[in-house]
Amino acid sequence: MSTRQKENFVDKKFLEAVKSRGINRRDFLKYCAVTATVLGLSELEFTKKVAQAIDAASKKPPVMWIEGQACAGCTVSLTQNLNPPAASIILDQISIRYHHTVMASAGDIAERVYHDTVKQGGYMLLVEGAVPSADDRFCIEGGIPFRKRLEESAKNAAVIIAVGACSTYGGIPRATPSKGIPVSEALKRAGINKTVVNISTCPVHPDHLIGTILYVLVTGKAPELDVKGRPAMYFGDKLMHDNCRRRAHFDVGEFLKDWNDPKQKDWCLFEKGCKGPVSYIDCAIRRWNDGISFCLDCGGLCQACGEPNFYDKVTPLYTAESETSKKIWAMREACLFKKDT
Amino acid sequence: MGDERSLFVQERHIKGGGKMAKKITIDPVTRIEGHLKIVVEVENGKVKDAWSSGTMARGFEAMLIGKDPRDASFVTSRFCGVCYSVHQLASARALDEAFGAKVPWGGNLIRNLVMGAEYVYDHLIHFYQLSALDYIDVMAIANYSGMDKDLLAVKDKIVGLVKTKDTYPLTPRYEPDEFTVKDPDMVIMAVKHYIDALKIHAEARNMGAIWGGRTPHYQNIVVGGVTSYPDINQVTRFRTMLDEQAKFVNEVYIPDVLSFGTGPLWPLAEMGLGGGHYNYLSYGDFQKDPAGKELIFPAGVIMGLNPAGIKVDPVDTKKITESVKYSWYRENKPVHPYNGEQVFNLDKKDAYTFVKAPRYDRKAMEVGPLARMLVAKHPDVLGLVGKGARPGAVVRHAARAIETKLIVDACYDWLDHLLTEMTKPGFKIHDTEHWDPPESGMGAGFHEAPRGALGHWIKIKNKKIDNYQAVVPSTWNASPRDEKEVRGQYEESLIGAPVPDPDNPINVVRVIRSFDPCLACAIHIIDPHTNEIKKFLIE
Repeated sequence: MSTRQKENFVDKKFLEAVKSRGINRRDFLKYCAVTATVLGLSELEFTKKVAQAIDAASKKPPVMWIEGQACAGCTVSLTQNLNPPAASIILDQISIRYHHTVMASAGDIAERVYHDTVKQGGYMLLVEGAVPSADDRFCIEGGIPFRKRLEESAKNAAVIIAVGACSTYGGIPRATPSKGIPVSEALKRAGINKTVVNISTCPVHPDHLIGTILYVLVTGKAPELDVKGRPAMYFGDKLMHDNCRRRAHFDVGEFLKDWNDPKQKDWCLFEKGCKGPVSYIDCAIRRWNDGISFCLDCGGLCQACGEPNFYDKVTPLYTAESETSKKIWAMREACLFKKDT
Repeated sequence: MGDERSLFVQERHIKGGGKMAKKITIDPVTRIEGHLKIVVEVENGKVKDAWSSGTMARGFEAMLIGKDPRDASFVTSRFCGVCYSVHQLASARALDEAFGAKVPWGGNLIRNLVMGAEYVYDHLIHFYQLSALDYIDVMAIANYSGMDKDLLAVKDKIVGLVKTKDTYPLTPRYEPDEFTVKDPDMVIMAVKHYIDALKIHAEARNMGAIWGGRTPHYQNIVVGGVTSYPDINQVTRFRTMLDEQAKFVNEVYIPDVLSFGTGPLWPLAEMGLGGGHYNYLSYGDFQKDPAGKELIFPAGVIMGLNPAGIKVDPVDTKKITESVKYSWYRENKPVHPYNGEQVFNLDKKDAYTFVKAPRYDRKAMEVGPLARMLVAKHPDVLGLVGKGARPGAVVRHAARAIETKLIVDACYDWLDHLLTEMTKPGFKIHDTEHWDPPESGMGAGFHEAPRGALGHWIKIKNKKIDNYQAVVPSTWNASPRDEKEVRGQYEESLIGAPVPDPDNPINVVRVIRSFDPCLACAIHIIDPHTNEIKKFLIE
């Protein structure tokens, strides 16, 4: 269906209302297309549902994004989304009350907004980065430990989303002297019993993040999660290995040894350290950067950055000697992988 | 102040006016990326003293000890997700030296090209998204009376947001001052370019992903070269995407920077706001030819800039040391990074930052685009200086735009070279002979990252990492005082900055942002007479 047809179908009055809030119609419709399939709806139904949801809410839903031990890579990843453009999400779809790199200046006022929003409750809380467990002083934000900020903002949040490898499972900070722990663990230790939606990978895939935000926006609840607390629609049983174009070479034992050899270009990267066989994620189908490429397409390796094992259990990264690689080899020997059909 | 938020109150003596000044309490403030905080003391409407501190640490370098050396390039890329992969490259280069690997010209070309894409994205996002709003009054758009359709759409968008009374996260803002550009035609054009740039730099990232696999954090740079064996379609695709970038850089970015810099912002340029120590360092980077005889960015050191006759000395990296006197690490005398350590001491007296204080020949240096363009004696930058601009915030922005063009032009040359290389028999992108770690070794890797001179140092023992240190651009620029009480470059560059209204420290913000800090900063303004603490943030 063309954008024009969609525009005709969706209630004109509604689109006018959308426009009056500074939302570009085209962006809005493109936006809807992103997650339609996720909900098992046709694009059209989904467009209508989003329309209704936004219309029903008198205001844009409040969102807070807090950052602990992180590299801001997840924020950057979000802003590289072209369809829909990041600007339309940030300005038009949600009301970002708090975000280091996005919000304009003025500390006192920002602080007031933060506290007002916490008090008001009912916001979507996005957390980038791990929580240092060795000593609070490894991450001080606004003069208070990041741990404390997380606890107070989590209490009144409607939905909590951990964004990226560090906040979901601890990622690289877990292996450092600061001993980073995931959001779910930090909340558990504080006696806060709330569901955390884990959108892992280092950095987060913008589609996964935007799709989940939209899901929450439309349905008012968290999506179905897999056993590791991740949205089942992107992770769950979607084994990278089963969708890898190098898969046939794994099965017949053709492993890339020399990146210079065009003949080996598409061979399996297991011996170089690839962990795709235990990585449950849809990267091989979805790809990255508007579909231009992804890790395995540039001869790079899957380091299972969406799995709880990342990083301390997948190191050494560039050999097949890690705990994880040994497990993969044992599984191959025992014929535990689905055969290519 | 004084409530639970003062959990980590720091007490410090401030030296000023030749006598010990009063003891002050600093209320922690950072609301945004809590990694960098700046404290300034204002007297008679001018900054009298300044402190720069980083307040987040993970301990990557300490964690790397005992790991397979090849992990380093992957892991250190995660130092930062904004200037992603600069560490991957510097790290891979340190490993190249330690492993004895010789990166084939094809591998270097692809490394250069993906970093070229990173450069364009990084400089554009810095100028438009992070800095431009310091210089323009966005609300002047309401007075735009022209008929340009595109610009009217911009006007509608901004006015529309204001009407909904939900302008988060765009408000609040600093109030415009005497230097702020208020001409509606200029402002609306700048805001349009702000919106256009969002799309352009996302596309620059996609361009890098052709060989990098994805962004942020490329996947293709490893010791010995790259993993991405190129095909001709990719070369064509890169070139097509590069055309769009070149068009924007040449027709929008450079004209914008120059028209602002030589127009309404000329008084700030002449004043030399944000000058600092006038010491500059560039390691040099980006080979033009396989032998590396000529570089896009030459290496050099300038001590105490004399614009009339710039004296550039060769770089001797042995002269680099790091001081930790004011940093939260175990006390140590200034040492070369090879011998550096990362042992935290969070209780250290007088320490106020996680950032160490790197020095070259015991001098505090500026690194980044301004340093590179001065070392290169680029005619356009010297031209601005010749007309009376003093190197500082405005010239720093100009240098950044000028070098973006150098990189874009270089990318075309590298694509040509790559095509030629690809058709040669035995074309190589990787030194596979040296893929396995040596029993022992050491290596240094240097890169001129968008934010400046970057160095990684590694020592290998029993095929594992024995020591790892990185001295990053923001460490040079955002460093604290050293053991001789010499301020870091951010701190020094703030001295004398006019702050007529402590409630509106827009010039402080302009100076700090002109360096393109990798992290968000918090600014405290202390009025020594009232001991009143004002809190400000830089997003």
